[in-house]
Parts: sequence; structure tokens; C-alpha cells
Amino acid sequence: MAKKVMERRASDNAYLHKDFHGALSAGIDYLDRRCGEEAVREFLRRFTVSFYAPLIAELKAGGLAALRDHFERIYKLEDGEVETVLTDDELVVRVAGCPAVSHMRRHGYRVARLWHETTETVNAALCEGTPYGAELIEYDDRTGRAVFRFHRRQP
Amino acid sequence: MIPCTDFIPTYSELFKFLEEKGGPGAVRDFWEYLSDNFLGNLKDLVERKGLRGCWEYWSHTLNEEAADFTMELDEDAGEFRILMHKCPSKGLLLGLHHVEPYHDYCGHCDVLYRRVLEPLGFEVITDLSEINQARCSLTVRRKRARRKR
Repeated sequence: MAKKVMERRASDNAYLHKDFHGALSAGIDYLDRRCGEEAVREFLRRFTVSFYAPLIAELKAGGLAALRDHFERIYKLEDGEVETVLTDDELVVRVAGCPAVSHMRRHGYRVARLWHETTETVNAALCEGTPYGAELIEYDDRTGRAVFRFHRRQP
Repeated sequence: MIPCTDFIPTYSELFKFLEEKGGPGAVRDFWEYLSDNFLGNLKDLVERKGLRGCWEYWSHTLNEEAADFTMELDEDAGEFRILMHKCPSKGLLLGLHHVEPYHDYCGHCDVLYRRVLEPLGFEVITDLSEINQARCSLTVRRKRARRKR
């Protein structure tokens, strides 16, 4: 049997490994079963406030356009269909189907019971310390189809 | 949705969260759970194809992760090896200036793959001595049967 060798540079491929969604789903499921659903929400909140701190700073400085650009970028990156409507005090995001959920269902990964928290809790945490609030209006567990909005909180 | 491109920092934060809750043992418990419940595809491939299964598994994952690597399979010698010149996961974490990565992030690779491959008759050797430059290696070698005297 011949020896096989594969050489790759980082620039040879695009960075897009969707199986990571399955690994995150397994992590959320594990945390849910071991520590309860509040732990899942607290973990996602901490992650968001920490990792998305630059995005939250943009939201504070420049308003909801920062979130519109963020959601348009990430859904486009994963071939998801997204529609955004931005006004002065409100951003509505309509996702036709979550690319993460469709990838997991297509490849047989278990979708965590609390997967919707990657939308609901993450969106709420993006608004922490800002004049905005977040609301999950619709969510379909089977497909990840969702409608959510961000709005300026009343003083 | 958290995009898959943000998964590595998400996992790093999960390891930190678990350690805060239950110490390093809680993180290791999770890694073992993940190995048992998430790497069925690697186990299945290696059960059916031996070291060639390693080649197929990592051909898929490392290319999708845009890794900078050399991968070698020598079935006659009973050895499979990955030389990671620049790990995309560790490289990403090292490049973050506003987040402190989990201190033993790369420890999960050793636990996850060893736990799948050793029971299938392989030894697993990892070298993480240059991990602070995002370089490492993984060698999977077929265990040799001991000769009777």
C-alpha cells in the first residue's frame, strides 16, 4: 500500500465547518442535563457579553445598523435566507430557516432542546448595557425559522 | 444563531464556565461525554477502515477548518500522522485580544481522540509542546501484538 500525503495551506480552503453546530448543540444539551436550563442561559449570556463586546460597543456607538450588518453577514456566510427591516428605533430580522438547524437535521446531529437560546439569550445579551431591548417573536424548533426584533427601550 | 465561524471562542467559554462550576474534572467529564457521543463518525470509519478511516475523517474536518497541515498515512508501517503547522482553532484564540481563552483549550483533542482510538487497537501520541505557536502533532499507530516467549 502506497504512502499517502496531503499538504494544505490555510489559504487553500474557506473556513466554514458547519459540523461545529452539532458540537455546540451537544455542549448545550450536556449543560442543560447536568446543570439545568438557567446554566445554559447564563453560559450563553457570558459568552455573548464577552466575545461580542466589540459588536455591543458598535451598537452603543452607532445604533441598530451594527446588528443589521452582523445578522446579514452571518446568515449570508452560512447560506441562510434573512430579511432585515431597520428604522430609527427598531430592527426586525426574519430568518426563513436556521442554517445551523438545517445542517444538523441533514447530518443526523441532535438539536438541543434549548437551541433557541442561541437566538433568544444571545440577542438579549447583545443589548445589555445599551438603550435597546430584544424580543423573540416567532421561533420554529423544527426549522429554526424565526422572527426577532430589537427596539429602543422606553425611558 | 451563533455562526460556526464563532464556534471556537464559544467552546473556549464553555470550558471556562464548566471549570468554574466544577473544576478541571468537570471539563474533562464533558470532553469524555463529547468523545462518546459526538465522534461516532470517527469511530465508525476507523472500525470499518482502520487507519484509512483516520485519513478520511481528518481529510473532511481539516479542509473545512482551513487548517495549515501535512497529513500522512502509511498503512504498511501502521501509522497515521498530522503535523499541524498552524491550527485554525488555536490560531483564532491566540488572535483574540479582548477574550482570554481557556487555559487548556487544546487538551480536548488528546482526550477526545485517544478515547475513541485506543479501544480500537491504536496508540495515540500528541505533541503540544509548541501549541503557543498554534503548532502540534497527532500520531496514531497500530499497536503491535506482543510476542510470546
